[in-house]
Amino acid sequence: MSQSPVSQIFANRPAPDATALTDHEWQQRLEKIAADPRMAEDNIRAQGVVGKFGIPLLLIGAVGLLLTVIGAFSYNLRHALAAFEIGVFTALALSLGSIFFLLVFHSLNAGWIITGRRMFENAASIVWLPWLMLLIVFAIEYINHGVLLTWMGGTHGDYLLEKKEPYLNPGFFALRLLAYGAVWIFLGMRFASLSRKCDETGDRLLGRKARFTAGWGILLFALTTAFAAFDFLMSIDFRFFSTMWGVYYFASCALGSVSLVVLMLAVLRSRGKLSGLVTEEHFHDLGKLMFAFTVFWAYISFSQYFLIWYSNIPEETAWFVYRKEYGWGWLFTALIVGHFIVPFLAIIWRSVKRNAFLLSVMAVFIIVMTIADMAWIIRPMVYTPLATTNGDLIDPGLPGIWLDAAGVLGVLGVWGFFLTRAVEKGYLLPTKDPMLHESMKHANYV
Amino acid sequence: MAGIKTLIAGAADYFPGFVRRPAPRFVTESGKRVYGIVAEFGETPAMYHAAEKVRDAGYSRWDVFSPFPVHGMEKAMGIKTTKLPLIAGGAAITGVAFAAFLQWITSDYLYPMVVQGKPYGAWEPFVPIMFELGVLFTAFACLFGMLALNGLPRFHHPLFSHERFYRVSNDRFVIAIEAEDPNFDPDKTRALLEKVGGSHITIIEEED
Repeated sequence: MSQSPVSQIFANRPAPDATALTDHEWQQRLEKIAADPRMAEDNIRAQGVVGKFGIPLLLIGAVGLLLTVIGAFSYNLRHALAAFEIGVFTALALSLGSIFFLLVFHSLNAGWIITGRRMFENAASIVWLPWLMLLIVFAIEYINHGVLLTWMGGTHGDYLLEKKEPYLNPGFFALRLLAYGAVWIFLGMRFASLSRKCDETGDRLLGRKARFTAGWGILLFALTTAFAAFDFLMSIDFRFFSTMWGVYYFASCALGSVSLVVLMLAVLRSRGKLSGLVTEEHFHDLGKLMFAFTVFWAYISFSQYFLIWYSNIPEETAWFVYRKEYGWGWLFTALIVGHFIVPFLAIIWRSVKRNAFLLSVMAVFIIVMTIADMAWIIRPMVYTPLATTNGDLIDPGLPGIWLDAAGVLGVLGVWGFFLTRAVEKGYLLPTKDPMLHESMKHANYV
Repeated sequence: MAGIKTLIAGAADYFPGFVRRPAPRFVTESGKRVYGIVAEFGETPAMYHAAEKVRDAGYSRWDVFSPFPVHGMEKAMGIKTTKLPLIAGGAAITGVAFAAFLQWITSDYLYPMVVQGKPYGAWEPFVPIMFELGVLFTAFACLFGMLALNGLPRFHHPLFSHERFYRVSNDRFVIAIEAEDPNFDPDKTRALLEKVGGSHITIIEEED
């Protein structure tokens, strides 16, 4: 057994997981798990299942991104960038939410999820892709002196902007963006690589290392996610401010990623993979998380809206006026109904949570609603009364929707392709995790 | 009909002067009403498998008592999921609707008043009250619904007159089959409990 510094720190502590076992007991448990018929090679590898999704996703992504680029040059850069950003922030939410759940699972020693945890790790490990796309967004904004982030073009004597300049300036912005990338990519890659390494070596102390990382990672994750949302989404209207904004984006992260994992597990299950390992008990608990974060999203987004509506301060209400008036009221209503009422009334039923098919239908619906949420945040700022100073910006309405679809599908297609690549690599679950035996017999007694 | 009989029997517990209990199905030699029959078990697996057999024999009004919670017992006993969530859900809808109605009728219909320059009948300020009343009604429905479904509170239970029954809080498992059960028959039920391995099988009588 290799002794790393972390394992020495924890060596003499009583541990609730398998680190308290002797080496001999641990080897016996590994052998027992490996001999389980459910751990047959065919059941825990994705070969021949996920590959079928990869190439179509890549094609959709490539065509979508190509159309977005064409749209940017021939049609309207602002619109194309907004469409691209809707996709990027959805993909980023799915990856960041997975990192969040990994942080929570590791810091709480969550045993029940182990058989489904690899899906979170896969989605977390490709966080570099949306981050690279954020770099592209920043480059486009910087070169064009502000496309959506109009403050990048200079203060132009705006009093508020002059006050906010120490924070809202391209140099500091770039620095922060690099810090976000460093934290996200480190955390995402670390949890995935520790888990994969454990598959090969069976070193049960790797889980302790992940737990140690999760301890300090959770703080950095919270700060970087919140500030990334401030920087890219809130500062689209630099007059607007909301202390709830970071939480608002985080709610989409958590909700989207748990829905994505439900969808992935349901697809794998329907293709005969992970049978007996991911059961209706796991779907039940993942469904509880979906329900919880549906309510959480509704709670914080209503709280944010409610306080702004009541206090009626112009620079705050303007943000909602753009998103409720000027032809966007339908999306506002659609979010209330589709992002809260429908999932709430659907997932509240025990029978829905325990049915992989119904739950995955709700998962797709929620991911679509997450895209709609991002669209509601970003898209109304493309053609606003304030922006008409640029001259040519008249909302094309429905005929312009191809560009939005191209941007969103382009990003999500490419992201989905890398996701399938990650799923195909290695096993579909951590095969030698210290708590795997708990997850294999997981049951809800209520 | 069975439901009405149960209701009457339940009401008779609380209002003995007003509601007469239905006539007993079985009485002991001393003329007292039979509550049911109990059997003791020494070990969890024995009790668990015995419960499965009692379930398969078609009994519905019976219970298992143990010193600690036994996982999977509801399956061994064939207990169906509780109706409490439906009661709670109904109360939640009632609470939300009541709050919406209360605020709408006072602040928009009967006595419309401008508050802080906001429009008449704006839905935003209603939401916290709707949430709170929904939670309040749900909480009450959960608590009192749970008590009602459990037949609580009650001052006494016939099983307490059985001296050996007190050992279920220490080292014994007890299966009790009530005389109200349609399948109950003093001889057959005793034979069943003997067959599944119960000891100290006793008929429990109620004190009037």
